[in-house]
Amino acid sequence: MSIHSGRLAVSMALVAAAACESAAAKPIAFADGTTVMAEYGAGTMTEIQAFYAPTFRYSLGGGHLSLNSAENGDTRDITYLRLNYLPKRWNFESAQANVFVWGGLGRAHIGETGDNQLTWNAGGQLDYETRRVYASLRTDYYDASAFSHRIDTLQLGIAPYPHDYETLAVWFVIQAREYTGELFDGTEWAALVRLFKHNAWLEAGATLDGEVQAMLMFNF
Amino acid sequence: MKTSQLLFALALLVSNVQAATIEMTVNGLVCGFCAQGIEKTLRKNPATADVLVSLENRLVAVATKEGADIPDADLRKALTDAGYDVKAIERTQRSMADVRATLKGKK
Repeated sequence: MSIHSGRLAVSMALVAAAACESAAAKPIAFADGTTVMAEYGAGTMTEIQAFYAPTFRYSLGGGHLSLNSAENGDTRDITYLRLNYLPKRWNFESAQANVFVWGGLGRAHIGETGDNQLTWNAGGQLDYETRRVYASLRTDYYDASAFSHRIDTLQLGIAPYPHDYETLAVWFVIQAREYTGELFDGTEWAALVRLFKHNAWLEAGATLDGEVQAMLMFNF
Repeated sequence: MKTSQLLFALALLVSNVQAATIEMTVNGLVCGFCAQGIEKTLRKNPATADVLVSLENRLVAVATKEGADIPDADLRKALTDAGYDVKAIERTQRSMADVRATLKGKK
């Protein structure tokens, strides 16, 4: 656990030092807003989430995460309740940066043994975005007596033109993702195209192995 | 002379109270979701007739209903509670159609 915490701190510090720009999916969209999201992560992870934000500072909700090891076939199905919190936001003239943190509790079904266990999760996201460039680093940690997994995701994006509220936003995104706990060996690279307008967000692409990576999100 | 000055002052006061559009310069406007949240918040105000958000111009414009106004303090609170920083508030006689036309002309 201390090793994981240390790696997390180092990862966050590295990105904080290196982050130039960012525009990412956020666990809190806006005050009095509801976010629903579904992500298919190249066969290794599949997640659905729904959150309601009473204020722009926090949101409450839940989700379901399925993890399928590419190394040994182990599976975990985790259903959780989660609180997301925005401790810091920077509003610049033409940019915005955020620090999000979250934590929650849930139930995990361990595929290889059939056991159900209490699980907790914690994570965070650091992002920075303008209308042309963005970067985000996100980390998610899941722990139960039978397993511990961390999923770290770095995204760097560039927009071919600066979008506005009434125009379609287009982003070209490079993603690097690492899993701990024998889920995937090495870094999983993916190239993605992200489109969003008004309350809808669609992101799709492929990993270097040719696996599909996709996300759909709505805010209302 | 004094009467004419008084009438002029009254006319000025009335024109300010019934300002057609409130234009705010806002920091942190970078994505459509920002605009969506701000629009949703401002439309809840009963004095609001229309809302326009321009990311390009860092502009949030609010048209008020005839005879209605929204105090600066309420506007600042609404934007701050939405997670953004208001840098300036200006009341203009431009209609929202004029604001839209000006923004379109800039592109």
